[in-house]
Amino acid sequence: MLDGIMIGLNTAIMPFNLMMVFAGCFVGTFIGMLPGLGPVSAVALMIPITYGLDPSSGIILMAGVYYGAIFGGSTSSILINAPGCSSTVVTAFDGYPLACQGQAGKALALAAWCSFTGGTVGAIILLFAAPALATVSMSFQSSDYFALMVLGLTAVAAFAGKGQVLKSLIMAVLGLMLATVGTDVTSGTTRFTFGSSDLIDGVSFLLLAMATFALTEVIMTVLRGEHVKPQAEIDMSKLGSMRLSREEVKEVAPTVARSSVFGFLIGVLPGAGATIASFMAYGMERNLASVKEKLKFGKGSLRGLAAPETANNAASTGSFVPLLTLGIPGSGTTAIMLGALIAYGIQPGPRLFIDNPDVFWSVIISMYFGNLVLLVLNLPLIPYISRLLVIPNPILIPLILFFSVTGVYLVSFNTFDIHMMVVVTVISIVLKLLAFPMAPMLLGYILGELLENNLSRALMISDGSLSFLWERPLSAGIMVVAILALLSPLVTTLRNRRAAKEPQVAGAEESAA
Amino acid sequence: MTLRRDHVGGLLFLLLSVLYGWFIQDIALLPGDDLEPFHARTLPTALAWIGGVLSVLLIVTAGPVSVRPENDGRWYIGLTAGLLLLVVVFGLVLKWLGFLVATILFLAGGFWLLGERRPRMIAAVAIPFSVILWLLLTQALGVYLAPGKLVTAVLGG
Repeated sequence: MLDGIMIGLNTAIMPFNLMMVFAGCFVGTFIGMLPGLGPVSAVALMIPITYGLDPSSGIILMAGVYYGAIFGGSTSSILINAPGCSSTVVTAFDGYPLACQGQAGKALALAAWCSFTGGTVGAIILLFAAPALATVSMSFQSSDYFALMVLGLTAVAAFAGKGQVLKSLIMAVLGLMLATVGTDVTSGTTRFTFGSSDLIDGVSFLLLAMATFALTEVIMTVLRGEHVKPQAEIDMSKLGSMRLSREEVKEVAPTVARSSVFGFLIGVLPGAGATIASFMAYGMERNLASVKEKLKFGKGSLRGLAAPETANNAASTGSFVPLLTLGIPGSGTTAIMLGALIAYGIQPGPRLFIDNPDVFWSVIISMYFGNLVLLVLNLPLIPYISRLLVIPNPILIPLILFFSVTGVYLVSFNTFDIHMMVVVTVISIVLKLLAFPMAPMLLGYILGELLENNLSRALMISDGSLSFLWERPLSAGIMVVAILALLSPLVTTLRNRRAAKEPQVAGAEESAA
Repeated sequence: MTLRRDHVGGLLFLLLSVLYGWFIQDIALLPGDDLEPFHARTLPTALAWIGGVLSVLLIVTAGPVSVRPENDGRWYIGLTAGLLLLVVVFGLVLKWLGFLVATILFLAGGFWLLGERRPRMIAAVAIPFSVILWLLLTQALGVYLAPGKLVTAVLGG
């Protein structure tokens, strides 16, 4: 493992890669601050750039952007009560009241420190957990992989929130269907191409990700009329002190410790990302608080701000565990990173840290750097970065549109792709208006080929019988978890019907979805 | 019974699953494939069935949400269509006028559509941005951007 850390350090410390961490965090913070654009969109916008880099640098850049975007989301949550992404919705609960009380500086500093701690603790656990898990997963067979992927797809649905379970599953199936378009790898026959040569290679992953996340998000803000809403004025003179007193540090320390570990564990679960971790950590902290402290939640409680901020960063780190060790992305963002890795010809999974130790370890090491950069560089720069938010929407929106379109064009140099993007965008706008979530579709699309290969191998070995699903204890165990994950929303719905739930909590859960 | 949001979604996916299932028969099989436990049609067939069942479930369990999506303002359908059309036009123009001119036109069109009507302001952002990006791509990064067909026709290739 020490060798690995050294390889990782050597790769991560290369000036170019350090620059990528800086650039990633910086760009990520900016994109994350823009309302409506979250980590998924930010990482999607980076794909075309990473195609020109070598794998480690590319993934380091993406990881930096991921962190930065979450951090940027917190900033706009605190300053203007407009969360840039879903994982920082909770941050606004207590962060914005703090800003209203003239303590924006303190809230920002606390958010930055919490993100840093959460991320660092997460990275340390990742350092030990990932290689261990990777070793275990060496013994995985195709039936286990198949079961794991089924678990990944059902878990997304299980965590999707009220009334979204079926829709998430449908979107995952749609993603799998899209993945079957093109040439079948095992037999070489074309499927669903309708004779078009543009479809023989299948639907481009980059195109799908950019169209559904970058382009659609921007177009949706226009469709909803958010571009004409008055842009928030941020009064930087009212930031207040950025210092935390010793008592305040003492107050939040246990919260930060709890939320780091908790957030990481939630992040490891496939399908549950930073959003769920932040909501659950907030809920847990409120339950643990004394009656007197409970009243402060939602009115500017430091603990209420610390818990979700710590948890969402720890969870983002945690979501790298299944990606790096099993090759199964746990969230929309890591799904995009998986797609980028596959485009490099790198197969993430148990063999990653044997075949490409530099990629594996440098990602982990650069996570520390990323967290450091956020704290040292971004925090003092926040007043300046938020100035960029003042770019008027009529200028900003066409620029983002342009970047998402040319991002695809500059990789394929095929104008067919630009028109295809418009088609995909129109479809996803309709789906979004019908309240279908997009992330499961991308997850299904990316897992599609792997799932088919493993299913095919498992079925060949068992001579066509589905018994492989329960004959190996490991596969059977994973399948049981998958089925439980699928049934859990059903159970909660039934339980909720019986006992009238606290309306506030239900409301919070809905906004998370 | 009124049409609910999930009815529309469910019906759409039911239709999709049926169409998807229908086109499975176009997938050519290798000789002897029908004796194999797994071939090119296996997964699509399973997906078509799962998709169909899930859509029916969605229709049956549709929540009481009306098909009209909520929004706390008016919908900007015309503007949205305009922007999407602009992207389509960009794709067409790109082939004929080349990257630089197409980018300037796209950005200017976008600014104008979104309400920035001062010609000087439009030009002051669109032209330098496009020129710098074009220089960066072609000169610094060495990306080959094909000149537009019209440009080569007039100036000669």
